[in-house]
Amino acid sequence: MPILNEKQKLMRRIQQSCFALAEANLYLDSHPTCKMGLAYFKKHKAEKEALEKEYTEKYGPLTAIQSDSDKKWEWVAKPFPWERGES
Amino acid sequence: MWQYEKKLQYPVNIKNPNPALAKVIVSQLGGPDGELAASLRYLSQRFAAPCREVQAMLTDIGTEELAHLEMIGTILYQLTRNLSMKEIKESGFDTYFVDHTTGIYPVAASGVPFTAAYFESKGDPIADLNEDLAAEQKARVTYDNILRLADDPDVRDPIKFLREREIVHYQRFGESLRQVTEMLDSKNFYAFNPSFDKKKPK
Repeated sequence: MPILNEKQKLMRRIQQSCFALAEANLYLDSHPTCKMGLAYFKKHKAEKEALEKEYTEKYGPLTAIQSDSDKKWEWVAKPFPWERGES
Repeated sequence: MWQYEKKLQYPVNIKNPNPALAKVIVSQLGGPDGELAASLRYLSQRFAAPCREVQAMLTDIGTEELAHLEMIGTILYQLTRNLSMKEIKESGFDTYFVDHTTGIYPVAASGVPFTAAYFESKGDPIADLNEDLAAEQKARVTYDNILRLADDPDVRDPIKFLREREIVHYQRFGESLRQVTEMLDSKNFYAFNPSFDKKKPK
């Protein structure tokens, strides 16, 4: 595994959290009343929201609509994820 | 509608360019069992799904396939950066390069450009979901074949992730097919089209 910087480490945690949510989402599509599935989704949803808040405050927006500056359009100030080291 | 998120579903960080490998992996972008065909298949078929559970499944898996399209595009982009003309000629990448330079274009490894003929949207959820089960298995086989051709761990890691997703999607579509089948009238032995044919009033 490559050595990750702080930004990459936080992105990994967001990806892990979003992956748990994506898996739970598909599972719940076919098991919409599963109590365990719903609790799992809720737990990871709170985690994902906290991690994304931390990331956007430190490193800039993950969606265009999160751009929030009077000085510059933040969406174009940060690299896209296909560049090496940006995912 | 959709909203773009500036992140990959799973990280792609490839140290060593390898245009010969890009030439085969491009099939999962625009080939017969690639991610573009997968996303358009599910996002087209969902309108004929007879219940919200299956409408959700096709929408959500179709959306995940768009994230996979982005991952494959990223793998191709990173495998083809900083190439010399010598590397392009000797790797066999020249036949792609002549038309697309190092741009990302949906095409099969054999050179056939992407076509909507790779998938069907039949307006019948039983027919569509059976196609979807086959599509997930075929995509899994293509990833198996890519893993036979790729040595680089930086490439194998995200390809293994994508291969695993095909297996999970197959499982979920199996549940959708079972659900639609159970919704049919018990006298519907031949499984008529539950989205088009209506039961005759008595």
